Amino acid sequence: MKLTLNNFDEEAKKGKSHNNNWIKVGLSTCGIAAGADVAFDTIKKVLQENQSDVEVIRVGCAGKCYAEPLVEVKIEGMPQVVYGKVNEEVATKIVQKHVLGKQLINDHIYLLKDA
Amino acid sequence: MWKYKKVILVKDTDTGKETVRFSELFNSALRDRGLDGEVQVVRPADINVYDQGIVVKVMPGNITYSKVEEKDIDLIVRKSIKKEEAVKEIQIDPKDKQVRIVLRNCGNIDPENIDDYIAVDGYRALKKVLEENNRDNVIQEMKISGLRGRGGGGFPTWMKWDFAKSQKNDTKFIICNGDEGDPGAYMDRSVLEGDPHSVLEGMIIAGFAVGAKKGYFYIRAEYPLAIKRVELAIKQAREKGLLGNNILGTQFSFDLDVRLGAGAFVCGEETALIASIEGKRGCPSPRPPYPSVCGLWGKPTVINNVETLANISPIIYKGGVWFSEIGTKRSKGTKVFALTGKVENSSLIEVPMGITIKEIVFEIGGGVLNNKKIKAVQTGGPSGGVIPEKFFDTSIDYESLQNLGSIMGSGGMIVMDEDDCMVDIAKFYLKFCVDESCGKCAPCRIGGRQMLELLTEISEGKATFEQVDKLKLISKAMQRASLCGLGQTAPNPVLSTLKYFEQEYIDHIKDKKCASGKCESLFVYRIIQEKCKRCSLCQRNCPAEAIPGDRDKGYAVDQKKCIKCGKCFEACKFEAVAR
Amino acid sequence: MAKAFINNIEVEFERGRTILEVAQQVQVKIPTLCKHKDLCATGACGICVVKLEGSNKMLRACCTVMDEGMKINTHDPELVEIRRTVIELILSNHPNDCLTCGRNNDCELQTIMADFGIREELFNKIVKEIPKDSSTKTIELDPSKCIGCGRCIEVCQNVQNVWALSFLERGINTRMAPAGDIKLGESPCVRCGQCSAHCPTGAIFEFDQTRNVWKLLQDPETYCVVQIAPSVRVAIGEGFGYPVGTNLTKKIYAALRRLGFNTVFDTNFSADVTIMEEASEFVERFVNKKGALPLITTCCPSWVDFMEKYHPDMIEHFSSAKSPQEMMSTLCKTYFAEKNDIDPAKMKVVSIMPCTAKKYEISRSEDMFSSGYQGTDYVLTTREIIRMIKQAGIDFNSIPEEESDHMMGDYSGAGTIFGTTGGVMEAALRTAYNFVTKKNLPKVEFENVRGLKGVKETSVMINDIEIKIAVAHGLGNVEYVLNKIKKAKENDEPLPYHFVEVMACPGGCIGGGGQPYGVTDEVRMIRAKGLYQDDEASEIRCSHDNPFVKELYKEFLGAPLSEKAHHLLHTKYVPRPEYKK
Repeated sequence: MKLTLNNFDEEAKKGKSHNNNWIKVGLSTCGIAAGADVAFDTIKKVLQENQSDVEVIRVGCAGKCYAEPLVEVKIEGMPQVVYGKVNEEVATKIVQKHVLGKQLINDHIYLLKDA
Repeated sequence: MWKYKKVILVKDTDTGKETVRFSELFNSALRDRGLDGEVQVVRPADINVYDQGIVVKVMPGNITYSKVEEKDIDLIVRKSIKKEEAVKEIQIDPKDKQVRIVLRNCGNIDPENIDDYIAVDGYRALKKVLEENNRDNVIQEMKISGLRGRGGGGFPTWMKWDFAKSQKNDTKFIICNGDEGDPGAYMDRSVLEGDPHSVLEGMIIAGFAVGAKKGYFYIRAEYPLAIKRVELAIKQAREKGLLGNNILGTQFSFDLDVRLGAGAFVCGEETALIASIEGKRGCPSPRPPYPSVCGLWGKPTVINNVETLANISPIIYKGGVWFSEIGTKRSKGTKVFALTGKVENSSLIEVPMGITIKEIVFEIGGGVLNNKKIKAVQTGGPSGGVIPEKFFDTSIDYESLQNLGSIMGSGGMIVMDEDDCMVDIAKFYLKFCVDESCGKCAPCRIGGRQMLELLTEISEGKATFEQVDKLKLISKAMQRASLCGLGQTAPNPVLSTLKYFEQEYIDHIKDKKCASGKCESLFVYRIIQEKCKRCSLCQRNCPAEAIPGDRDKGYAVDQKKCIKCGKCFEACKFEAVAR
Repeated sequence: MAKAFINNIEVEFERGRTILEVAQQVQVKIPTLCKHKDLCATGACGICVVKLEGSNKMLRACCTVMDEGMKINTHDPELVEIRRTVIELILSNHPNDCLTCGRNNDCELQTIMADFGIREELFNKIVKEIPKDSSTKTIELDPSKCIGCGRCIEVCQNVQNVWALSFLERGINTRMAPAGDIKLGESPCVRCGQCSAHCPTGAIFEFDQTRNVWKLLQDPETYCVVQIAPSVRVAIGEGFGYPVGTNLTKKIYAALRRLGFNTVFDTNFSADVTIMEEASEFVERFVNKKGALPLITTCCPSWVDFMEKYHPDMIEHFSSAKSPQEMMSTLCKTYFAEKNDIDPAKMKVVSIMPCTAKKYEISRSEDMFSSGYQGTDYVLTTREIIRMIKQAGIDFNSIPEEESDHMMGDYSGAGTIFGTTGGVMEAALRTAYNFVTKKNLPKVEFENVRGLKGVKETSVMINDIEIKIAVAHGLGNVEYVLNKIKKAKENDEPLPYHFVEVMACPGGCIGGGGQPYGVTDEVRMIRAKGLYQDDEASEIRCSHDNPFVKELYKEFLGAPLSEKAHHLLHTKYVPRPEYKK
């Protein structure tokens, strides 16, 4: 559907809306070099194994190069958290402990936003 | 549902050693009050406050405490957990120093999905522009915003557009300069990979404003992911009617293509970039004529940097006045920096113009790596210079940095500590320019190479002060007589280190010493007899047979034979070899 | 017109002119090593920087257009210091081979060093040994002497449209070389030598054969014949301090005899013979419809080479007549040898040419050996013969004039204008008119084909039939003419031209690649004028009226296009791929 000046507002609203529960993985060159693709795949895999409907979203670089790979997690009712240095192990933990266990994870939080 | 209601973040921001102990103390304090089921105590990796002792943050409410002592714990739990109050005496109010305009969507939206961009007000600026359908208004808005080129030069963007607009020519071009090449800089890559549509939108608006129907993304081939995402963005924008013929159903048509750069640094210079797109050798040509008058294939051409273009959409959507309220009098808006080097938090940051270097390095960057002593900050890459610590309160804007002998540049900011030798740094940047010189004009082609020889002589202890005079002589000739910016600015790192760290040059020349321990040729290896255990490892590892002696008499380095390879230094297990 | 100031001197100037040009109007010479008046500025050397009042940047005078009201300072201590430093840098990147360099005493770099009083080398020498390339045997590349001014590349690519030379590598390793780093002899180079004529140093130089010629002259067994090309006579004087364009034909004859040549002939004579053949060929094709039209001239070996490499589909249009040089040499070893009872095996023919490509022409195909021997043995350019005359201690300026040897030394006015663009066409028309009408033209001058316009298109009436002609010079201008012909052929449209003259070098042979340095359009105009004056002063203005030509045909060849003439004076062409393996 081509956008026009007239239908823009209407069509813009129709755009894909994201799930309320999501995990964003920083998948730019910097993140990928640090292993973000592994984190991305692991998170998807573990979510699937647990039949979770949390959406995994590919995003660009959030800027915290020193903490790559970066994963941001938003689960309803919980604070929004940016985890850093997410390797395979931490990625698994994020799903199991944070998403499923509803607990924040030590030593990997780089930013915590109020829900 | 979440198990808890609140979070307490605890971190020792000095050494990190006390984090675990303090979080346990909080846990037991909570247990004592039966609150441990309601509050989770978490040890974050970064609490975004630095060198403030034990820092504690209570969420929700975002109450932050610094220099927390054991005695404060009980009070914090009582006031901030049980009630929603703060302990005023130790409370701090850390402000996020960053302002994200260019990076507004980076890390937030899916760069490969145009709907994500549209959902965050993407392409609304374009819609506004096409609704108003007035090219002068766009340029007027840009003028009000005060946006200046973010590629390094700082030329007012609206003027570039206005020159091109006023050219009477049916064919005009917009080029996005994505040939980012400064060592340690990756701002443009992040934007192209993280939010390609914002750059696209900027280009389309520029195309409308100047009357161009065609634009080119010039991206270096070393950025495959950026290329992939830009190409995808172009495809999606075409499908949505945001590119191509009759954009958004109006009379305005504009299309984009990607051209790859082969990695020559000089192709970031606009006339060389144009030559490269035209399929010629990437060499600069004399200006004037400027590209906005006679550019790609002889047509009026606007060349804007990636970061400049990413600013366009917010300026148009929110208004030039909004933008002009950020920053300083002559430098408006924000600047993205790639903060790297000897800094704790290497990061991509966006800060308002006018912020100080100190704020960037210590409050955003978390200070110097490994608590070493900071020496300087380098901005502007190979065209820039070093700024010593005494000027760290200088405001970041085009003019202030230039007055210090550096430049804003495209946004590389490299932190240097006591282990960095300034002669070596000057040599590094100069070598970069010498390698990247296109070879067209004599001052840059030969001058750069000669300066490198002189610096090498200095770093090897073979120089006299005559070499410094020659460095200055060539610098001047290169600055004034080189054809393009590369050659004109290549001497800057040398001149600024000479200006601020002259003593280091003197040490190298007069005393043949490199205090930072970088210039290998100046090392003098010797064996500290008191520490030597006479194990003979140094002797056995020396490839030059320069360490005579035996286990009875001990060992010594024969300086005449020593080739300064450092094998003995590395081999010694008792730190008995000094250099 | 606009006004501006150079060093506080008010100057009125034509808009569009550069600072460098405007400064010359008020007798201010801004030094430069890369700008050649003949070529577009490259801005490479950085020596011509000047200051503009109110700006802290320095401007390059060579490529910055003067603007109304500009106040330019061209010489202050700072500018001079910067220029000096740049010159010292260039020196540090240039070998100190001056005494053994071909450009010694005639080198722009040397001159500027002398002017700036450079007495010591300030910087370390950074000179890379790069082997010379003399694979073309016509021009020699010596890249270690290259100062990177880019003139050769500018002229090769943008003036001549040959694209043999380019810059390779970058930074300090930048060097001019054949594109693809192959040997020049394997490149599409057509040996026009314009690169060597524009090089400010000794980096591109004619393939020097003076020593070979000295050896011939010193061998008592060898009978040495020499011929001089039309354009040499009006250019040689520049090497001896004469004003540009001075016609020194008879002094050259004298000097050549002093050098030891046994017989002195003039290529102008064989130019007349060429016209007899070529005009006949034209009449044959135009009147008798035997052969393709338009007929295209082939006196220029670079043009022949260019066509064989880039436009082999045009071969049928080429005149089969050999060039005057080759006609003369062939006739020397047959007609002249026979009549004078000289063993052609012991005869050597040297030609003095304005051209580097002529060195290639002498062996370009087996037809050059149709006398039974290689026709021309050595070719010397104008620059080489100037050196030889000086080496021989001949006081050229005061040597008394002498005549040529008559058998093939006398020429018509048509023969002498061969040396300039339009000249071959004009000469051919004079004779073709006669061949068709059996009458001579009432007015022999064709002003429309003269001058330096890149392509000159005009038409002439012979017996009420319009002959459409085109004259192109500078290979970059040929494309236009060829495209017009090709398009007409493709679309079966009427021919745009019947007769086309092409000379590879801008201005024709008077601007040849082997002529004295410093050629500009102004110089070309004056040299050409010298030839036109020679023509005007001639009693005989048409080739077919030359009594010695008549005698040649009567005694030896029979008639133009006779079997003998065909065998000795004509040639064939073959397609040559642009890049050899």
